[in-house]
Amino acid sequence: MPHDSLLSRRQVFAGAGGLGLLALLAACGVDDGAPDAAASGPAKQGGTLRAGTTAPPTAVEPVTMYDGSSIALVQLVADYLIWLDDKYQLVPRLAEKWTAEDGNKRWTFTLRPGVTFSDGTPLDATAVKASFDRLLDPKNKSAALSAFGDVLKPGGVTTKDPQTVVFTLARAFSDFPYLVSAGNYNAVILKADYAGDFTKNPIGTGPFLLTDYNPSTGATFTRNPKYWQPGKPYLDGVNVRFYADSQAEQLALQSGELDALILTEASVIQAAGDIALDEAASTGMTALTLRVDRAPFDKKEVRQAVAYALDRPSVNEAVNDGIGQLGNDHLYAPLFPSAPKDLAQRKKDPAKVKELLAAAGVPNLKFALTFDPPNKDYALVIQAQLKEVGITVDLDQRTSAAFYGGNQETDTPWLFTTANLVGWAGRAVPSQFVSPMVTSTGVWNGSKYRNPAVDQALTAYDAATDDAERQKQAAIIADALHEDVPVVLSLWNGAVRAYNKRKFRGITAHPSSYVDFSAVSSV
Amino acid sequence: MRHLLLRRLAAIPLTLVVISVLVFLATEVLPGDVARQILGREASDATVAALRQELGLDRALPVRYWDWLVSFVTGDWGTSYTLKVPVRDLVFERLGASLLLAAFAFVLLVPVALTWGVVSGLYHDRPLDRFLSVTGLALAATPEFVTGVVLLVVFAVTLRWFPAGAQAPPGASLSLRLEHLVLPAVSLVLLCLGYVARHVRASTVASVRSPYVRAAELRGASRVAVVRRHVLRNSTVPATSALGVQAQFLLGGLVSVELLFNYPGIGALLLNAALDKDLPTLQAAAMVLGLLYLLISLGVDVAYRLLDPRLRLGVAA
Repeated sequence: MPHDSLLSRRQVFAGAGGLGLLALLAACGVDDGAPDAAASGPAKQGGTLRAGTTAPPTAVEPVTMYDGSSIALVQLVADYLIWLDDKYQLVPRLAEKWTAEDGNKRWTFTLRPGVTFSDGTPLDATAVKASFDRLLDPKNKSAALSAFGDVLKPGGVTTKDPQTVVFTLARAFSDFPYLVSAGNYNAVILKADYAGDFTKNPIGTGPFLLTDYNPSTGATFTRNPKYWQPGKPYLDGVNVRFYADSQAEQLALQSGELDALILTEASVIQAAGDIALDEAASTGMTALTLRVDRAPFDKKEVRQAVAYALDRPSVNEAVNDGIGQLGNDHLYAPLFPSAPKDLAQRKKDPAKVKELLAAAGVPNLKFALTFDPPNKDYALVIQAQLKEVGITVDLDQRTSAAFYGGNQETDTPWLFTTANLVGWAGRAVPSQFVSPMVTSTGVWNGSKYRNPAVDQALTAYDAATDDAERQKQAAIIADALHEDVPVVLSLWNGAVRAYNKRKFRGITAHPSSYVDFSAVSSV
Repeated sequence: MRHLLLRRLAAIPLTLVVISVLVFLATEVLPGDVARQILGREASDATVAALRQELGLDRALPVRYWDWLVSFVTGDWGTSYTLKVPVRDLVFERLGASLLLAAFAFVLLVPVALTWGVVSGLYHDRPLDRFLSVTGLALAATPEFVTGVVLLVVFAVTLRWFPAGAQAPPGASLSLRLEHLVLPAVSLVLLCLGYVARHVRASTVASVRSPYVRAAELRGASRVAVVRRHVLRNSTVPATSALGVQAQFLLGGLVSVELLFNYPGIGALLLNAALDKDLPTLQAAAMVLGLLYLLISLGVDVAYRLLDPRLRLGVAA
């Protein structure tokens, strides 16, 4: 889930309320020691889940959606070829199986038989091909184009028979199934003749039907009787209510008006009383990007000094309520199977900071840090921690619109300021970070880092057909990033989801805040 | 009187045009880009440029303004750039919600504030007056966000007497809708109370000290009769303008209460439209609110003339 612009909207009025509210709620939200709802036994049929989420900032449109709320609403109604579960494992959904040939350049997907769209139309290879052709057509302006990058190009999707779809890639890509999974969130399978205006034509193969939508207030879903998973969903329906303010949402959960929050901010909510928090690891993070092509960060030692100045465990506590995992200044999250295991974790080392800065000839390092409201807390923590080792940070906060505005090739602040904080939503595969962020041709290379060894290793990684080779190439990339520090990555975010454990079970956190409510049931 | 009305009414369209130009120019200089907002950070510049062209944002500013103005005046308010729904429906739905909340808060505010101010004025400079004045001042100085949070935590989360959200479920009866509006309305009343009561108190003090009240008291009229016949009327006239100011505030200045109580009013719509640079929505909301403001201030002036004998009879004060 990319940057959620609404988080910044939420900051507009989140002034005095925050801490005081938490303190108040902590004072009256005493855990009454009630037993947790039975997590075993057969699931109950029936019941309606009332979920809160941020109001989508745009019309809900699967082809162009990028905010967490729109993605979640679509996921209630539509399905992917492959789901990504809460451990980021691939789970067959509309595709039953897939095979690779020609050195990972041709992928054949076999569709699950007997699946129908909610209007009764059978799911076939034509609908799947149309869904991907739609995303690949530039005039439809899908963010999936960035995800497919130079891997899948228009014309690369063909049908072999009604149950078989073939993807012919522009280059070998061993992680290709992730690109057609929920990890590429726009890739839901819609009918071949889908022509937009999803909230008026919400036809999918998912567990629920969208029966009512109001952009100001919320959405109503009922059980899809034609859903392909036998017996599911257990719920009769889901009512989603939109919120512009995370505190209002939390209060609604605390007062029993909501049963779950789709997008839960770990720093805002606590488990107390009936409210439980499910946790998951995530591949989302906030990168501290340093421009390697201009002073003061054109010297590697200065970048390393910043990396050694951070006390990562306390960053985790301060900005993420302790639920994240420590980052090691490379782009391989612990959740990725190819993440290097034997690279020592970088720790705070004030003596080393002094030594490195002296070696670089910048004993009194001072720089401006540019960020937008969602990363305000992290910016303040960085400023305080760097001050302890004699580094001065001037905070330069911009509105989200300004920070992400401008031209991505010439002047947009998030790609062109000397040092900045950019929140990155979780990606399904590490190459989706490495390729755009730190390769010579990367479209979002804010550090301006160029390293042919990294470029080559990434190509080799993507083409690798066995795990040992992938591990080897991932280690080359991770070592280079850890050493050169184009981005300081102190933390991989965790994800949480808050829900009322006394009323519902089966609600889980998801690394990308995705929703699968097909297995949720009343207690 | 009629002359005044006609002159003021004639000025309204011109004022609205000025507002619309200002909103247009202000939106122009705001950072950000609605096309980028619609497509997200990860869309390429070329894609964003294509959408800008589709929305007609690449045309010259005067051309865009003129187009908007002609459409708006002919009743075509356009479609929201971001939400892709007709602006007219969106604005009127949100305005209806805001009017309901504002009216409810106003109905609670008037008797409470008038009583508060009159009692304060009658007991001026005595302990009761001091207590009421300081309390009113303290409440006015407390942001509605804070009083709102306290009300929510006490009455919605802990006691569960009232719902936490101001939005009743779809198809709710009016009484249920009002029940949902109690907490937000009370937090607004607490905010506005001090301001209105202060005005009422000042005029109450003035009329208690006025010669005719003294004369009435000397004639032996009972205190109650004097207050009812003279003081009340004279002290509530000046409150009209204070109430007018508050009515305008209640209509448009509710963003924080709308956010906290999750109420889809016009304040939050204006805020989001401005942040997203969703110009058709922003313009329509500004026009509708502007018109209401102008009508309220006109209404206040007319009421003032009708209520104040000096103005009504054209006697020099």
